[in-house]
Amino acid sequence: MIKVDQEKCTTCGICVDICPVSAIEISEGVISIDRGSCTLCGVCVSVCPVNAISIKRKAKTEDTSGYKNVWVFTEVASGTLKPVVFELLGKGRELADKLDQKLCAVIIGSGADKFIDELGAYGAELIYMVDDPIYENYSTDAYTSAISQLITEFKPNIFLYGATHVGRDLAPSVASNLGLGLTADCTDLSIEEEDNLLLQTRPAFGGNVMADIICPNTRPQMATVRPNVMEPLAPDENREYEVIERKISIPSRSVRTKILETISGREEHEVGVEEGDCVISGGRGMGSADKFEVLDELAGLLSGVVGCSRPIVELGWIPKSRQVGQSGKTVSPRLYIACGISGAIQHQVGIRNSDIIIAINKDPKAPIFDIADFGVVGDLHQIIPRLIDRLKKR
Amino acid sequence: MNFIVCVKQVPDTTEVEVDRESGTIIREGVPSILNPFDEFALNEAIRVKEKTGGRITVLSMGPPQAQEALRKCLAIGADEAILLTDQAFAGSDTWATSFTLARAVEKLGKYDLIFCGQQATDGDTAQVGPELARQLNIPQMTYVESIEEIDDGSVICKKETDGGYQRVKSGLPALLAFISTPAFEPKIPSIMEVMGAKSKTLSQWGIDDLGDEDGDYGLDGSPTQVIRVYSPPQRGEGVIIEEPPEVAVDKLIEYLESEGII
Amino acid sequence: MDFQLTEEQKLIKESVRDWFARNLPLERVREMDTKGHPYPQDIPKGLGELGVIMGTVPKEHGGQGLDWFTQTLIAEEIGYADPTIACAAAFMAVATGWGYTLDKYCSEEVREMAIKPALKGEKFVGIATTEPGGGSDVAAFKSTAEKDGDEWVLNGEKTFISGVEEAREWGGGYWVNVRTGEPPEDAPHKNMTSFFVPIDAEGLEPDKPYRDAGRNALSTGGFRMENVRIPDSYRLGEEGKGFYRTMEGFDNARLLIGASSVGVTQRILEEGMKYIKERKTFGKPLAKYEGIQFELVELYREMEATRLMTYKTAWMQDKRYQDGSFKPKDVAKWISMIKWKAPHLALEAANKAMHWLGAAGYSDEYMFEMAWRGVMSYCVGAEGGENIQKIVIGRELLGPDYVPYK
Repeated sequence: MIKVDQEKCTTCGICVDICPVSAIEISEGVISIDRGSCTLCGVCVSVCPVNAISIKRKAKTEDTSGYKNVWVFTEVASGTLKPVVFELLGKGRELADKLDQKLCAVIIGSGADKFIDELGAYGAELIYMVDDPIYENYSTDAYTSAISQLITEFKPNIFLYGATHVGRDLAPSVASNLGLGLTADCTDLSIEEEDNLLLQTRPAFGGNVMADIICPNTRPQMATVRPNVMEPLAPDENREYEVIERKISIPSRSVRTKILETISGREEHEVGVEEGDCVISGGRGMGSADKFEVLDELAGLLSGVVGCSRPIVELGWIPKSRQVGQSGKTVSPRLYIACGISGAIQHQVGIRNSDIIIAINKDPKAPIFDIADFGVVGDLHQIIPRLIDRLKKR
Repeated sequence: MNFIVCVKQVPDTTEVEVDRESGTIIREGVPSILNPFDEFALNEAIRVKEKTGGRITVLSMGPPQAQEALRKCLAIGADEAILLTDQAFAGSDTWATSFTLARAVEKLGKYDLIFCGQQATDGDTAQVGPELARQLNIPQMTYVESIEEIDDGSVICKKETDGGYQRVKSGLPALLAFISTPAFEPKIPSIMEVMGAKSKTLSQWGIDDLGDEDGDYGLDGSPTQVIRVYSPPQRGEGVIIEEPPEVAVDKLIEYLESEGII
Repeated sequence: MDFQLTEEQKLIKESVRDWFARNLPLERVREMDTKGHPYPQDIPKGLGELGVIMGTVPKEHGGQGLDWFTQTLIAEEIGYADPTIACAAAFMAVATGWGYTLDKYCSEEVREMAIKPALKGEKFVGIATTEPGGGSDVAAFKSTAEKDGDEWVLNGEKTFISGVEEAREWGGGYWVNVRTGEPPEDAPHKNMTSFFVPIDAEGLEPDKPYRDAGRNALSTGGFRMENVRIPDSYRLGEEGKGFYRTMEGFDNARLLIGASSVGVTQRILEEGMKYIKERKTFGKPLAKYEGIQFELVELYREMEATRLMTYKTAWMQDKRYQDGSFKPKDVAKWISMIKWKAPHLALEAANKAMHWLGAAGYSDEYMFEMAWRGVMSYCVGAEGGENIQKIVIGRELLGPDYVPYK
């Protein structure tokens, strides 16, 4: 149900211009909305400068049968596609094949066209592109409007986002805007045999339980997916794809947040801990900040990235963006090496999904050994340099 | 200024133990705590209120016993607390939760800022904050670490991004979802503050207070359905060695080889 | 009967537990026990801000007006946090048990000078009753006070006093019992009067502290008084009634130390359980062996029974103060039972746990040995030894004709 509060409305006309389906008009000095053509995309709500338009939604899609295809949100960071995009395409491919539907990528940005070849190579058959300077930097408002509009127009069946900072900001905003179900931080996705619903699996309770979740009555079925869990396809430049471009311009004043400054916590193109296939973390047992150099060296040899436990961030030795654990990043690498980390439960929560956990700690009672696949009780300052020597000789 | 802080009482997931035989969670005796992210948000709200003046209302949805967590919020420094509690709210997913909270915020009337924890440690969805913001049609900032500046019309926050930080400005009213900083030490209420909290208003609102009986409340209003809960596959017993460094490194190399890492 | 804690009581317990987890974790307890006295003053100052020292002192005197039941819960948490019992000894039994009683009988002048700063942790107040010639045997008391105009002149010697070094460092003073006249032969407790004596009073000479077996963070010492002159306004209660005031002080201190000992036991069992579930011998965790598991279970049962006794006693003490529905004698019997039982149970728990751990339990790698040394102080004597408690209980059971000292 869409409503206009005529007392608040100044008939400025912004909503009339922005409405993608031309359902709004001003007649006799008042705004009127044609309920027949309105798709409830919500763009007008977010652009109205006086909050005069409201939509009350019911979380129910009346007819789910018209919704087809598997969509993947394409996140761009510092000029490159986030690795999670390829992982989503890999999983999305599997889901789309199972449903006999198309795998589509949604790319929104400024100069977005430079990524479409890459998206195609990784498996996208159809690419929806929205290209406009307003999308140069991510903003909740602009992106929510654009995506809501694409969903309303093209009716996807499934929509996947990376469970990154951006994905976890955007997906719930879209879900709420359109009255959709959304499942957070999934570690597995599959299609149920009987009713072709998306079965979404995610850990809860600090990783102590797993839950299987479905979303039977709203479309698209939306989920954010934990980075580094799904397998991307090998890229193939011969894959064919089609691009559908939509012009969705949004007035800048409807973007209600403004980025004043961006402070980089890492080098350009540096891999984040949540993306690393091998993560080597140091804890208090490292002794001092300069000792982390040996971890850097070890990471270099194992193609890994360096992380740390919470006390290290508190000491200011390593930026918070590299903190692993409940109040930092959740990681799921192939190999996790915990050096001098006692392994408080808050840290364990963040590493439980790692394939292999190796712990090096001088305290045999350290809880990290409870979840380690291979534990070495001993002085890491003696062990790691020797390990580095041995790896170098190989 | 009027501040609303949304909080949730959660089981202390760090105290949860798993039955090694059956792999199920032992819920018995697990204490309930105030969600640590919400506690950070509340502490931040109190810090801001000390500068700007105003009133902090704490809002929570949960079973009647969640009142304890709200009493704690009052002891920490909130001025008033409202618990949304009704059989009809049971089984809410994030959409239904944000729907219910939005009705309560509308009923509360004028506000400048809504503070939320980025996520709750039981569900870890991080969805209720953004969903609430969109329901209320106010701007949101997520992964916020601190409020740097605030005046009558706007707020500037420092927020975490995947690659670092941003300073972001927004008009008011707005919703902020807070992460926590490593050095954060939550305020521990003194006995004076605990006793003082006794005389602050703590109300309970049910569906009748919120109206909109056909709204998306509880299980029926939730688009997502949990169909199965089970314990994750247990990690196998690990190998723990205690050997001189040379021998330990030999074995470590052997292990890395056997796992195909090197 | 309602066994449910109120919302406030739960929150207070949580605050105390959180405060200690942040400010006095076991590692620091170990450090303090190793380093020895004087007690670091940041702890009492923090406890003062938290409002737990002398919480039962009425609000109009600067306290929180808590009931004894809530104060008991606090004391229990403090025993849990510091199982060497140094913190509970200093700030629950002494500063709160005795401080409350001091506040009840002192003049406004003493309250401003000593009580109000002490409940903020800025000064130390304690009890000095034991003398080289005897403690529990009041007939053996030798210290005297003589009136001289508006002043009293005190002479004598006090020993085994908690916190003398702390009082010297931070300021404060002591509840001191002296004779203000010869007692009748059949009533040695008469003609005893209590005074507040500032630690820096002229003529008061502290001794070197003792080297105790345990609870080393808090000093134990003594002092001599040579013609110490104090004004009459420092007198606590009526002249000649010091014995009764003292018994009341003991009641409050014993209740709180009983509660703290329950907390110590709880901590020992929790830490012990962690160990026996982890540690394996012959391929099985220690906890699987009945020889160990059943000891744990038995201790647990005793702990819960003692906790119930403690809570009931605290509840009776509240009734005594609130509406007089329990007489001091009724409560004293219960207080003696928990003062006897609770520290001994903690001692036994520490003893058993050390056996579970073997050599590790005897070492400073674990908390058990420092708990064992610490709670021993309340088994052997502090606030009245085991046998004195038995005499009190026996007197109430059998009647005054059967007391051994007559």
